[in-house]
Amino acid sequence: MSTYGTPGAGPVVHDPMTLPVDDNVNKYTFCVELKGGQWFLQKGKMIAYYGSIDFNGIGHGRLDRLVRTSFHSPLHASDWVVAEGSGKMLLADRAFDVNSYDLDDGNLTIRAGNLLAFQPSLALKQSIVPGFLTLIGTGKFVAASNGPVVFMEPPIRVDPQALVGWADCPSPCHHYDHGYLTGVLGGLRAMTGLGGVSGEEHQFEFAGAGTVLLQSSETLMAEAATGAVPPEPGVPGGGGTAPGGYGPQSSGAPRLPGQLGDLQRRFGL
Amino acid sequence: MFRLQGSKVLAVDMTGDAVKAKNGSMVAYDGQMTFKKLSGGGEGLRGMVTRRLTGEQMTVMEVKGQGTCWFADRASEINLVGLRGDTLYVEAGNLLATDAGLRTGTTFTGLRGAAQGNGLFTTTVEGHGQAAITSDGPAVVLRVSPQYPLIVDPGAYVAHQGNVRQSFQSGVTFRTLLGEGGGEAFQIRFEGDGLVYVQPSERNTIAGDL
Repeated sequence: MSTYGTPGAGPVVHDPMTLPVDDNVNKYTFCVELKGGQWFLQKGKMIAYYGSIDFNGIGHGRLDRLVRTSFHSPLHASDWVVAEGSGKMLLADRAFDVNSYDLDDGNLTIRAGNLLAFQPSLALKQSIVPGFLTLIGTGKFVAASNGPVVFMEPPIRVDPQALVGWADCPSPCHHYDHGYLTGVLGGLRAMTGLGGVSGEEHQFEFAGAGTVLLQSSETLMAEAATGAVPPEPGVPGGGGTAPGGYGPQSSGAPRLPGQLGDLQRRFGL
Repeated sequence: MFRLQGSKVLAVDMTGDAVKAKNGSMVAYDGQMTFKKLSGGGEGLRGMVTRRLTGEQMTVMEVKGQGTCWFADRASEINLVGLRGDTLYVEAGNLLATDAGLRTGTTFTGLRGAAQGNGLFTTTVEGHGQAAITSDGPAVVLRVSPQYPLIVDPGAYVAHQGNVRQSFQSGVTFRTLLGEGGGEAFQIRFEGDGLVYVQPSERNTIAGDL
């Protein structure tokens, strides 16, 4: 047996036997056990693994069936990879807090940049709300957040930067404090910041039954592309009138798996 | 004697002995301390020339005295490593402090260093004593044993110790060039007997997004 990391001396040493199964190793690292199964994960979030695991882009022909059944937003397929094989795999994202969540025949909508990995028994779909993804079904998924996640019950109004996602809430909408924003003085305040803007005049409001997930900081995670939606009339974010600020998804034509990818985005141009 | 105060500050209790620490990493001390810059990391003229040639730059100071000295580096997490005659391989930028009795040097890492984007050479620490290494987020220590080799993303690798062979494996296929790669184009495989320190964050590497 190894002579390194004798008990009682120094930090905890993990090996394939002591690593947790589908659970957190510490607040920032999550361990997934694969026994011949598959997991979807965001590109580049694997930090280490034991065993033999293959990583394939979703455009991989062999995975077409899997993508059809549990990956319903093929238009951003190349940001995701499928890990398959057997062994234990560690996931982490820029030293952000990482947590796993179980869905039991449920649905949850999450900011695209926060979702790290999910089991193929869940179906991933683009949300109608731009920049968000919805998971439907039964299974486990892993999400990152800046600081620990807090669960809140609606009715609630939340800061846009603190919102991670929501489960079962039927009506996410914008809310403005009109006392601050209307009238000449309000307009001046909003435009110049003179006379006291609190920076909190705009919130997201949730009503109905469900759960809202908040992160305990207002630092946003980097946006992940959710893919383009079909340019039909009536589709938010679709068509030529896509709102700015959602990065590649407002760039026009939809992209299909297998198509020559967003090379310029990959190289950070 | 090294101990952690919180996870981001290293406290060293000294009774007339010395430690080597990254230049400028002292945040506080009590008692009597002297700080002396060690040219060439205390590795002598040969070590100095090697470091200059290999680009594995390390500016080190020697702290000596009586009392307690606290070290920290840009609020990064600190991990203590105990060495009992074996060798720790770590990037110079991730090495915060070592016992004065430990020898430091430079070694060739080959392709792994190139994939990480921090050069073809790395720093070695050997002897008996303690060292402190920094990481972005608390490092996970993973054991490598003959029956369980470990594969690590170059961007998350921090350090390793023990009798470990490393090889470079590449998953680059024509799909990578089409922009449909598996996201893990370059990996380092560790085999043998030892420990690998992995941080929960990936540095930007050449192949980071492929």
